[in-house]
Amino acid sequence: MSDTNLSASGASTLRSARFRAEREGDWKRLEGLVRKVESSGVRSLSYHDARDLAATYRQTVSSLSVAREISLDRSLLDYLDNLSARAYLVVYAPQGSVRGLAAQLLLYGIPQTVRRCAMPLLIGFGAMLLGGLLGYALFEQDTSWYEFLHPGEMSGDRSPLATREQMLSSLYDPNVSFTDQLSAFASFLFSNNARVALMVFSLGVLCAVPNFVLTLYNGVLLGSFYAVFADKGLGYDVFGWLSIHGVTEISAICVACAGGAQLGLAVLMPGSLTRRDALRYRGRDATKLAILAVIMLVVAAVLEGFFRQLVQSAETRLLIGWGFGAFWVYWLFFTGHQAEEGA
Amino acid sequence: MGASSQISQRNIRKRYELERAKRRIEILPPEGVPIHFEVASLGSRLGAQLLDLLITHVGLLLLFLLVIFNFSVPFSQVAAFFILLTFALRAPYYILTELVWNGRTIGKRLSGLRVISADGQRLSAYQIVVRNLMKELEVFLPITLLFGLGGTSGETRIFMIVWLLMTFATPFFQKRNQRIGDIIAGTYVIALPKTDLTKELAQDDGVSAKRFEFTPSHLEHYGRFELQTLESVLRSQSRVPGLEKREREVVEAICKKIGYLEPVRFEEGHTFLSEFYTAQRAFLEGRSLLGDKREDKFHQKKD
Repeated sequence: MSDTNLSASGASTLRSARFRAEREGDWKRLEGLVRKVESSGVRSLSYHDARDLAATYRQTVSSLSVAREISLDRSLLDYLDNLSARAYLVVYAPQGSVRGLAAQLLLYGIPQTVRRCAMPLLIGFGAMLLGGLLGYALFEQDTSWYEFLHPGEMSGDRSPLATREQMLSSLYDPNVSFTDQLSAFASFLFSNNARVALMVFSLGVLCAVPNFVLTLYNGVLLGSFYAVFADKGLGYDVFGWLSIHGVTEISAICVACAGGAQLGLAVLMPGSLTRRDALRYRGRDATKLAILAVIMLVVAAVLEGFFRQLVQSAETRLLIGWGFGAFWVYWLFFTGHQAEEGA
Repeated sequence: MGASSQISQRNIRKRYELERAKRRIEILPPEGVPIHFEVASLGSRLGAQLLDLLITHVGLLLLFLLVIFNFSVPFSQVAAFFILLTFALRAPYYILTELVWNGRTIGKRLSGLRVISADGQRLSAYQIVVRNLMKELEVFLPITLLFGLGGTSGETRIFMIVWLLMTFATPFFQKRNQRIGDIIAGTYVIALPKTDLTKELAQDDGVSAKRFEFTPSHLEHYGRFELQTLESVLRSQSRVPGLEKREREVVEAICKKIGYLEPVRFEEGHTFLSEFYTAQRAFLEGRSLLGDKREDKFHQKKD
């Protein structure tokens, strides 16, 4: 390159050209090191490389400072700007450790978050319980509420007009193939649970009101659904039918609602922070609740898609359903006390 | 040219530079020299996203077609299963690649993009997880629900369309093109192209003879902005066809402005521009040493 000729043939009369000729070697060295780190990580640097990286980085940043002051050469400024930015990231924002992050999250992060979020969880589960009681009471008062709440289901097996035998067979149906189960699993997850959970979580940001209402509404549906069967003396059977996945699934929706409420509370009561900062701060817990909800929803979909058909007795259904319930409670409330939370 | 139009010309340029500076991300490291990052354009982000989609979905799609054509299974059930599989594959892909390559998925690597933390510190695992889970919530899940898996109702469709419009509109209204996931996680997506050190244009060793002579009266007309414009003309060399003609126009414009009377032959155009550049830069550097920084050709008029 002509730059080398330039420095060889003696000093330029231009101050900025001399400035460049004197420091160019360092910049090139830094560029090479940055390139190396960008393609194969900090670990690829030798001891000497690492030492040079620190030294040439400082020199280049100081060159940048001087060049911004004296240089009229646009392309030189762009080069130094770019090189300094890349080197800055190599020096100050290096690769974090990836190992053990998932285990950390599952063992400590999520349980500790759940214990910390008593208030939002209370809102989530409270809304569902309140809705359930309301739905049950409404149906007891006037059965036509069911038509209002479940339009289009009036003629099916699960309406107040159906016979006891029809309803019973809708709860116990052993003749389902594996592929049916598979597609049932997928559609349960997407069409129903994921949609409700997504809406419940994301709407929370609007001051926690829509997600409360939506969860309440889901509770009402559930309560009235239960009431229809209870009316025919099938309360125990429908309880088992719902329990096998419902314990997990309904809890998941409550947890999603709690995550949404966490965001809503940040907007409603930001405390001494700005709303944006409060959202970001509480977002950490909300995210962990969302991850928990996703895990629970997947488990619930497996239970609903496969096991509800495989397991045909109410007792086993209750056992599996509440067994999972006990597992969630144990995991979330009785583990992960020891280590400090890092993830 | 009237004084008012000069002022407005200058204001337009200043506003443009201000706008550019506003979009830039500035981080102050302990060295005390602000470091600038260029916000990635939405187009390049879309490109990187498409590349990533290609990487995560092409294999699955081929497998899907293979299953459909070779086994007699109902389409809808296999489709349901594969959509499920994409969900199980996608978020982990984005999270893992951004974790392993420090904020760069494969698509971002190829397009020269990178995620950085807004505070300039190391990108935390939490930030990466949040911005990619939010991507699922913002885009992929609504699209899947919109195109209906397992009987999506009308209200859900409308809700999803509104939701998608909102999430797609957000980056356009954000100063630094953040999407909702970026805002919550506190991250920016930046463009980090590899810029090469170009050749020094000022060829003045103080020894070799010059073809053209410039006096201070020739050099006091222009400022930094014009010098850098000339620099871009000189650097565009071999790339543009019809360059000689363009250079000729520049030579004529300069001669007229600075009152350079000696004729410049056609084939000498490049030499003239190159020598004028060197002389003008030396002159402006000298002035700035004396505290007289000339931004542009309007430097004599104070606004």
